[in-house]
Amino acid sequence: MHVAFQLMLCVATVVAQATLNSFLSINNVYPDLCLVLACLAGFFSNEYKGSIIGLTVGFLQDLLTPGGIGLNMILKGLAGYLAGMTTYTISTVTTSAVVIVAVALSLGCGLASLIVAYPALNGSEAFHVISWVLVPQALYNSVLAAGFFWLTHTVRQSFGMVHFVQGRR
Amino acid sequence: MPRSVHTSLPIARILRRILVGGSILFLCLLLFVPRQSQEWLGQVGGPFAMILEGPLQVVASIQHTVGDTWSQYLALQQVWEENQSLRSQLQELQGEQNRLREQAILARDFEKLLQYQATAPMTTLSAHIIGRNASNWYRALIIDKGAQDGIHAEMGVITVAGVVGRVVRVNPTTSIVLLLSDPNVAITGMIQTSRDEGIIQGTPQGNIHMKYLPPLSPVTVGDAIVTSGLTDDFPRGLHIGHIRQITKATADLFQSGEVTPIVNFSKLEGVLVITSFQPPISAESSPSTTTLPAP
Repeated sequence: MHVAFQLMLCVATVVAQATLNSFLSINNVYPDLCLVLACLAGFFSNEYKGSIIGLTVGFLQDLLTPGGIGLNMILKGLAGYLAGMTTYTISTVTTSAVVIVAVALSLGCGLASLIVAYPALNGSEAFHVISWVLVPQALYNSVLAAGFFWLTHTVRQSFGMVHFVQGRR
Repeated sequence: MPRSVHTSLPIARILRRILVGGSILFLCLLLFVPRQSQEWLGQVGGPFAMILEGPLQVVASIQHTVGDTWSQYLALQQVWEENQSLRSQLQELQGEQNRLREQAILARDFEKLLQYQATAPMTTLSAHIIGRNASNWYRALIIDKGAQDGIHAEMGVITVAGVVGRVVRVNPTTSIVLLLSDPNVAITGMIQTSRDEGIIQGTPQGNIHMKYLPPLSPVTVGDAIVTSGLTDDFPRGLHIGHIRQITKATADLFQSGEVTPIVNFSKLEGVLVITSFQPPISAESSPSTTTLPAP
């Protein structure tokens, strides 16, 4: 049941990524919902679950992306793993911590995707893509991740379900 | 002092009785006095009647206002109910109208595609667009036809207006089409008037660039660009766009230009995938092979 729910969540995220871009787009930059999901899975559970959800959602995203299968799978899996690892290193995961980690992961994943997608960019084109796509997308992703994190945390606290995500050291 | 009060009371009572009796007698006499006397009395009472007129009018107007308001309220209640009913009907009709309009637009677009499909000198397969870019790094479309429908990678994708892009990935029931504005797509194009050929390629900014135009090509802004037919995915003569700007530095070996695409990629709803066509070169070369003299 739990696995089925996670799979449905991954499918829904990829479908939303492919269909809701026109609604989510800000100045032709749209968020990577799959990366946001992988990060949140890591933050809310652990690095294993984060990486598994990241691998799954990345694989599904690869099926709908022109690039070769595997890139998004590896990147999202790695992002989920690293997001899960932050819960070890930070005593209490706060919304601001989510923002910082999501920005860093998004920049890393974006840079790797950029190198694979546009291997022959000249200096001005690379500058344009970094300043107009890579950085805004990282900020957008981090805002969404932090928003979802804060919302979920608030709902959980108000219903007394689970306490705030605690570090494990 | 109390004694004087007791002594004055009977006198006052007598006087009051006399006054009451006199008044009654006066009123009784008034009923029997001649008409002229009554007119005189009416004139005397006129100012008093005028004083009464004001309050009477006020009360009457209040009464009218309340009556009108009440009747208007009752009428409004009916109108409100009718209004609510009409509003709901209007919303239903607007929804139905919108649905019909949407169907008409879709039908018109696909009718154009089908007409073009019937007359185009190539075999095409119509497809709906079911999704768009799944990442920020590619400009792509997802169509609802895949390997099961006979789609292969590298097939050209067009609309009635012109070239859209190329199929780059095929799943069993869906395919990914990379748009012409993506840097990973390059097709051969030519200026329609001068027949000079070049390479059409997208840029990371989402524009379309025409590269490697001959340096002496008389290309001008506004020239139409069509496919040259040299690659296997598009036949010759399909519209790509117009030259928007020409750039040629003195040190450059070639001219290049910015291209305005003929297709608005953001408003596409249906496309045609070119499944096969007769390449012009093989068509021209085939007769020559048949006329070779027998050894």
